[in-house]
Amino acid sequence: MTTPAAPFAQLSALWIQVTGTWCNLKCTHCFNASGPTDPWLKSLDTGTVLHSLEEAESLGVKEIYFTGGEPFLHKDILPLVEAALRVAPTTVLTNGTRITDRVADALAALAAASPYSLEVRISVDDVDRERNDRVRGRGAFDKAVRALKLLSGRGLLPILTATEILQAELSEGTGMYDRFRDFLLSIGIAKPRVKIIPVFRMGRLGESGEDLLTEEMLRGFDFSLLQCTETRVVADGGVYACPILAGLKEARLSEGSLEASFRPCQLYHRSCVTCYQTGMTCRNA
Amino acid sequence: MDDSGEYRRIAVFGGVYSNYLALEATLADAGGRGAEAVFCLGDMGAFGPHPDRVFPLLKAGKVLAIQGNYDESLAMGKEDCGCGYTDPRDNHFARLSYAYTVRNTAPENTAWLGRLPRQRRMRLGRYRTLLCHGSPRRINEFLWESATPNGLIEKFLREYRADAILCTHTGIKWHRILADDHHLVNIGAIGRPENDGTTVVWYALLTAEDDLRVEFIPVAYDHEALACEMEHEGLPYEFAETIRTGWWTTCLEILPAKERARGKY
Repeated sequence: MTTPAAPFAQLSALWIQVTGTWCNLKCTHCFNASGPTDPWLKSLDTGTVLHSLEEAESLGVKEIYFTGGEPFLHKDILPLVEAALRVAPTTVLTNGTRITDRVADALAALAAASPYSLEVRISVDDVDRERNDRVRGRGAFDKAVRALKLLSGRGLLPILTATEILQAELSEGTGMYDRFRDFLLSIGIAKPRVKIIPVFRMGRLGESGEDLLTEEMLRGFDFSLLQCTETRVVADGGVYACPILAGLKEARLSEGSLEASFRPCQLYHRSCVTCYQTGMTCRNA
Repeated sequence: MDDSGEYRRIAVFGGVYSNYLALEATLADAGGRGAEAVFCLGDMGAFGPHPDRVFPLLKAGKVLAIQGNYDESLAMGKEDCGCGYTDPRDNHFARLSYAYTVRNTAPENTAWLGRLPRQRRMRLGRYRTLLCHGSPRRINEFLWESATPNGLIEKFLREYRADAILCTHTGIKWHRILADDHHLVNIGAIGRPENDGTTVVWYALLTAEDDLRVEFIPVAYDHEALACEMEHEGLPYEFAETIRTGWWTTCLEILPAKERARGKY
């Protein structure tokens, strides 16, 4: 049986896995098994990132995302965000633990200096401290909430990003979106923003679940619903098809050139089924 | 793609959203400003009351229209409006207004929407001008001011062989001039105010002389009457509130940070 492939349409979103899988937390459900020790995917050097930003600009990229691992562990993250904001609207995905007053001030200054929006997505998996920290680690909740408040206080409007990892424990009819929205309002954030993403059964959760995608399943399917048709990820080792599969050799499309990665990608992984079924995107909207 | 001729001065509006009172006022205003032609960039329905009331006005005004995503969805009998919202609250409100609009649009008007071109091209003075709803590549792509890089605009202009692109879909106007006298103009919307706390709506007047001059024109209309009709029709309270206050109460999650920061909610 041949593995189906998704055509490439255009480079809309450039992702930069700036710290590889190096993170100061060790969440139980992390899809790429990021953690504090022995990251299996290395951080990117500053020069590589700047080169990718330049190439992406010439290719008409629409938005740029920094992810990891924890991007704020990178020594040059602020200058890199500044460089990205000269090219396109930029988003940083973070656990929020490193966002202090000083970092929040710096981010606010970068946002004010750019014509493009700076988005900061802060991961929280439950509005209850104990439940959140059970999967994200002790202290994670308080630090994330501090980051949400620090950024909101500077007019930056962070986006609370939650996976559905703890959803199964909630009673039926409890709207996840409304719970987070109400929580943000309750801590004084007047313009609540919430993004919810499904759980990918991979990484630290171990691989399980659905079968692989087949040509038959994709007959007549609107491929534009798959983010790999207009997303590329720069990570250690080259350019990959999507943020979920970054670093996996089967998903690698070029050794470093974005343009060379503009070709169909194999939908070979179990996580491709999740995107196919849910229509999810890692992008903000 | 339709070739819509050559002009020196045109009026362009979009996002009517069934706001027939604003449409009436816009057409009257444009008529008094010497526009040689009036263009509409789509989304006739949604949000407002009595969707059928906009069609006689568009036809009497000889408006050259293109399809928006809402028009496409109605014409194709799709299950949703295709607005591109991603969160449950926005989708909840979108479903309510789409169901109302489907229910209250006559078949002949739906068929008329189905016959509209998806894009138009014209000469505006020396400017090769492309008219689209969302973006040249996707009918429901949002081109917000703070989320549309110069590199992307240049790519569009190169690939679609244009000097100026006119679009709508976001509901908030903006204009950017790039190198080589290239332009992108998001002409805003006349169906609802643009989240700035005022009740006026906006359209664009474009004049090609030596340079391309883009003026955004505010239009006042009887917004209280519209809000009352929306309530009478059972449309969500949140929609009428937007018409009365000028602040968006829904469709908020799609706003980039800078645009969201300017609003009240």
